[in-house]
Amino acid sequence: MNRRNFMGFGVLAMATLPSVLSAIESIDFRKTKPDTWTAKTVQDAIKALYGDIKPEESGVKVKAPKVASNGGAVPVTIKSDVPAKTVAFFQNMNPESAVAVWNVPEDGIVDYFVKIKLKATDENGGNGELTAVVEGKDGKFYIGKTKLQVAKGGCEG
Amino acid sequence: MGNMKIKAKEKNGVVGVKVLIKHDMLTYDQAKKKGTEANFITHITGKVGDKIVYDASTSQFLSKNPMIKFKFKGKKGDELTMSWVDLSGKSVTESKKIK
Repeated sequence: MNRRNFMGFGVLAMATLPSVLSAIESIDFRKTKPDTWTAKTVQDAIKALYGDIKPEESGVKVKAPKVASNGGAVPVTIKSDVPAKTVAFFQNMNPESAVAVWNVPEDGIVDYFVKIKLKATDENGGNGELTAVVEGKDGKFYIGKTKLQVAKGGCEG
Repeated sequence: MGNMKIKAKEKNGVVGVKVLIKHDMLTYDQAKKKGTEANFITHITGKVGDKIVYDASTSQFLSKNPMIKFKFKGKKGDELTMSWVDLSGKSVTESKKIK
């Protein structure tokens, strides 16, 4: 369906022909990229998901509290204005690094909020880094990071 | 009402969604301590009609009773349908009208 038809049908088309307009289908990255979820480091997880990529350090924002008092539920927001195909979210405090991979719908808005678990241990001293990678529709990759401190002794990790 | 608390509100053509899901999100480590099987949500999908508006594959590191928020281009009066699946294969689907 081209742009002109789309405009012509307008709202009616949106309501009646959603299956034609939405080319994308649900993707289960746990099935398509199983190694992503067992990778211990952020680098390995990114490699398992996207291959050997050299992401640009721009265009992606990861927002989290500088100091999280409860490692059981740390609020994180990932934002990007890059027209995206997929978004992947990793951290370096838990035994494995992958948290979530989003399959961005056609004309989707990348503004994702999740609450996550981060485990403060003696090894990491409560210091962690959150990493988000955006796979753009232009075929390029973009990366954003933020550091944070998680208080030890929070309820479960 | 059941498992999910869904709020969906349209403003200037963009729908802001907030979803709270009741789930233990038991990690492998926690399950080991408790002597049970790990079980956590592995996939969350949001749809309006047949159109996917949210599609996330997730790991054990979402918080217990996870909360998600997202935005998409949509309109008032449409019905947003959220579903999740967990490791045990259980799945829950609930709908909410966009305000």
